[in-house]
Amino acid sequence: MTEPLLSVRDLTKYYSRTEGLLNREVGRVKAVDGISLDVSPGETVGIVGESGCGKSTAAGAIVRLEEPTAGEVIFRGGSRQPAERREDGSHPNDVTTFDRSELKRFRRNVQMIFQDPASSFNPRQRVGDAVGELLAVHGMGDRQQRRQIVEDLLTRVGLSAADYDRYPHEFSGGEKQRIAIARALVLNPDLIIADEPVSALDVSVQAEVLSLIDDLQQAFGLSIILISHDMSVVNAICDRVAVMYLGEFVETGTVDAVFTDPQHPYTETLVSAIPTPDPTVSRQQITLPGTVPSPADPPSGCRFHTRCPKVIQPDELDLDHETWLAVHRFRQAIVAGSIDIDDLRDTAAQQSDEWSVAAQLRESFDLPAQFDDETVATAVTTAITHLVDDSPEKAAAVLAEVFQTPCEATAPAFTDHGDGHQSACLLHTTDGNAGRTDE
Amino acid sequence: MSSSNTSPDEPSTADDRSEDDSPLLSVRDLTTTFATENGARRAVDGVSFTVDAGETVCLVGESGSGKTVATESITRLIDQPPGTIRGDLRFNGTDLLALSQPELRSIRGAEIAHIFQNPQESMNPCYTVGWQLVEAMQVHEELSEPQARRRAVELLDRVGIDSASSRFSDYPHEFSGGQKQRVMIAMALVGSPQLLLADEPTTALDVTVQAQILDVLAELQAETGMGILFVTHDLGVVAEIADRVVVMYAGKIMERGSVEDVFRRPSHPYTRALLACLPAYGGTDGGIPGSLPDPTEPPDGCRFADRCEHAVSACRTGDQPQAVDLSDGHRVSCVHYQSGYDPQTVREDGTIQREETDD
Amino acid sequence: MEDDTPRTFDEVDWEQHSDRGGIALSRRLRTLIVGGTPIALLWLYDRLAVGQRERTFVRLGEDLGLSGLFSTLGIDFDPSSLDLLFVFTILIFGAYVLLPLLQNPRMTRYYWREFTRNRPAVVSLGWLGIVFVGGVVGPFVIAMPEQNLLAAYQPPVFGSIETAYVNNCVGVIENGRCYGTWAHPLGTDRGGRDVFAAVVHGMTVTMQITFITTTLVALIGITVGTVSAYAGGWVDELLMRFVDIVLSFPTLLFFLLILYIYGAGLGMFILVFSLFGWGATARYVRSKALAVSEAAFIDSARLSGASTYYIVRRHVVPNTASSIITQLTLIVPGFLLAEAQLAFLGIGDTAVPTWGELISSGRTAIDFAPWIVLVPGSALFLTILAFNFVGDALLDAINPESDAEADR
Repeated sequence: MTEPLLSVRDLTKYYSRTEGLLNREVGRVKAVDGISLDVSPGETVGIVGESGCGKSTAAGAIVRLEEPTAGEVIFRGGSRQPAERREDGSHPNDVTTFDRSELKRFRRNVQMIFQDPASSFNPRQRVGDAVGELLAVHGMGDRQQRRQIVEDLLTRVGLSAADYDRYPHEFSGGEKQRIAIARALVLNPDLIIADEPVSALDVSVQAEVLSLIDDLQQAFGLSIILISHDMSVVNAICDRVAVMYLGEFVETGTVDAVFTDPQHPYTETLVSAIPTPDPTVSRQQITLPGTVPSPADPPSGCRFHTRCPKVIQPDELDLDHETWLAVHRFRQAIVAGSIDIDDLRDTAAQQSDEWSVAAQLRESFDLPAQFDDETVATAVTTAITHLVDDSPEKAAAVLAEVFQTPCEATAPAFTDHGDGHQSACLLHTTDGNAGRTDE
Repeated sequence: MSSSNTSPDEPSTADDRSEDDSPLLSVRDLTTTFATENGARRAVDGVSFTVDAGETVCLVGESGSGKTVATESITRLIDQPPGTIRGDLRFNGTDLLALSQPELRSIRGAEIAHIFQNPQESMNPCYTVGWQLVEAMQVHEELSEPQARRRAVELLDRVGIDSASSRFSDYPHEFSGGQKQRVMIAMALVGSPQLLLADEPTTALDVTVQAQILDVLAELQAETGMGILFVTHDLGVVAEIADRVVVMYAGKIMERGSVEDVFRRPSHPYTRALLACLPAYGGTDGGIPGSLPDPTEPPDGCRFADRCEHAVSACRTGDQPQAVDLSDGHRVSCVHYQSGYDPQTVREDGTIQREETDD
Repeated sequence: MEDDTPRTFDEVDWEQHSDRGGIALSRRLRTLIVGGTPIALLWLYDRLAVGQRERTFVRLGEDLGLSGLFSTLGIDFDPSSLDLLFVFTILIFGAYVLLPLLQNPRMTRYYWREFTRNRPAVVSLGWLGIVFVGGVVGPFVIAMPEQNLLAAYQPPVFGSIETAYVNNCVGVIENGRCYGTWAHPLGTDRGGRDVFAAVVHGMTVTMQITFITTTLVALIGITVGTVSAYAGGWVDELLMRFVDIVLSFPTLLFFLLILYIYGAGLGMFILVFSLFGWGATARYVRSKALAVSEAAFIDSARLSGASTYYIVRRHVVPNTASSIITQLTLIVPGFLLAEAQLAFLGIGDTAVPTWGELISSGRTAIDFAPWIVLVPGSALFLTILAFNFVGDALLDAINPESDAEADR
């Protein structure tokens, strides 16, 4: 069993928010909060997630385009000798600790393709020169030789040698991405990270570019990390996939396993959103309430708990799932501050019948008028009263006592579903690995 | 061959004066030309279609096929010069090309509304979202400030913006991409439009958000009965929302029909090639090789001939092939469906792995 | 296989290639060094070996034993430091503007096509070409205008002047008016200096001002602007505050001060005004560079392993520099006018015949000998106008491809 080409362990990237003249740190945006990933030689791994989940930041941190805050990235490709971990815990092949010359050599082994073809190229530079520049930077001084290599590469990506002398604005989006692929290949890397390579392209062109990437991978034995928000793209060419939410991986596994048998509720949501191009089949999409929380202040425990359709009830309660979800969402809406009491009062004032604020709240959050459980009923009623009295904090506090879900107390550890398929959800956690409790 | 200007490839509707029978939007022989330094560029070349109230018509094609220009020509958003719009454009029977600028302005934004692809660029970053909504309202109606504000908040709520009231005073940059697009839809709804022209509104959004936006549009259509002309290059989106489909290529229409017809019995090679790009239909076998013809010098015959694997000599002479009726409302512009040719050449080329047998 | 130079990218053995910085001396830099070294040596020679009263080339001829050859060819020039600097800046212009244009004929043809759409700009370019050629070649061909009191106030060739004002008429006298001759096609001034010759020599000064100031302003402005933008942080803050100081500096007063204490010629004028005139350019370049630094191709360049210096020089600067060409063509008129104004006020460099100085000398004679003011005045006006037209046209010519992309 060969060692993986790339091993990422607990990679973290925080941005500091500073204020004042002396740049005091007042908060941290946790863009990437501890991800771990392995990429084997010749494998294509996808990282999928919505915009803002941190996947592009993760890519930048892996190649040290941005300096990671913590974690290690162990690279065993290129000409690096296999090495053991040192006494002090550090690893000689850890990219995050490379010095300048090692880093420069690393640049030959790992390259990147960017999302926006329009700004990926220097508009004042001929595309052939843009590709050949990488050769020059690494010491190939012979201009003829560079030209020859670049022209050959341009034909391999579906363009012609004559395109060497053209400028970026003379090419279409799809063609520019082909040139970007050529640029990523020219130093003969072991690993290519493609950050949303086809998002900006027409659907018909997407297929072309993806199939090119696939072909080249086969031909040159490349490993690829493909980042996308589009599941069907990942489905098309990836072997394994990691699903990312708010800076963390929630599920990893082979594409087949994850797509046909998703274990994490967020993955289920994403999979349900893949459009089926069959007009007779209506899409059964799971819609999530609210919006993605800000990475500057992520939810405690499992970060997805605020929007999860399968969030776990506290042990003491025994409501049916619909009702539990309704109450849970009600509570989340209060915490997020998205209930506008004034607005509801206005509506109440305008309507003549008993459309009081309380009734509106119950209606819009699907809260039943009666509950079997006394505690639950009291809590909900008290909370509503507090809201009407303009004290949302008290309302939140009341509900927190009764409706605290285990999902917010504990951050789940990964459960192994076999064959490398893992998910981080308390639904699957056995008592043995209950995960870490959050402070 | 018939002259290219009278293209009879439009579903025949009785040209009645009565409001009930005439479609909401009727486009006949729309031709939009741009004068460029390299010659006249025909972005849209003799295109005809209709949109009825309550239905969604999808205009499909690659970038450069002319679909955006066609949409913008309807309300004359194209600058003339350098553009020139010719044709018969009728909205509820009224000739749009004959309207004066003030009359056109009163229709635009009120009865006919636009939403565009890039919400960033469509909103003014210097003003709050609420202010912009109110401004849009007050162009068309006399409303007091509180009245306008209330309507604006209602609209924001209707398109699914949480806590609409407090978000009224937020600036565009405080919204996410999907939310901005919802705000755009709200702005389009200000004048209670009968016709919505949506130009790739979900292309720049995540797949999950895209699905939500499409839901919002469907709900609004059900509520108000407005007609929607939806421009896109993504057949996946078309399958979701279209009632009828019009497939454009290089300024001309290749195929049109109901959404079932086009997906179950795709007839034009270009339509089939587009479908084959979707993983569910054909896998990633490399897209459609080649590129659009030069718009200043369109080729003779069928525009798609150079990239079509079924092209024969008849495809390269004369004009775009006369459209043939396959069934009610399903028409295709391809020589293989004309008499003397065998449609099975196209139908059974194996590009599409999954389809129904045709009748 | 004997020939083992790799032909494809996957055949390259990277261990073989030394990890050089990748900064081979570009053709431009080589041209500059090759051309610049003799100039630098000549300047040193002039400063150290040649005396005040000796003419540089004459002395050079003697030292090299080539006096005979030099005198036959008429090589007896005495270039001042300013002249040498002028030649050097022309060399820089050639290496950094003309050479790249020649190396990319397709782009050049495209730019030229776009430029020539603008008729006034083409005519202006022609005029500026005349001024340039006149300024560079003129002094060798036309002698410096000398005082000749016998030929004072002569009218231009198709004009005339009342004999009352002239003590001697070179041309014919009819009806109490002295008529002009071809000996002085544009007339003479109060001291009898030929206006035509003076204008030609004035062209030299104009060109010297143009080239030297733009070079200095461009050099400092681009450097400060790009470094500031790319480095960001406190470097940016520091540099921008420095720019604030430079912008608010009272340059004119400072120049007057130097004039008063040390005396100042044209050279000092150029130096002082350039050294304090680059602030706006730096700001402008910085804003452009900030936008460029955000682009994906900069990330790509960083990922290629290139050093910061390389990225700034090869990627940031070219994308910002082209947009300042227009800015530069529009700063030059300011400098030209400043010189003319100082000359008009009487504090210019009287040793050098500039247009401003000529205009100044003719002000008292404006009633009866208007050509002394009009001829150099028109030349100045046309030159400034020409720079403005050319600047506008350059803006349109160089940037439209960014619009073309947006149209797609």
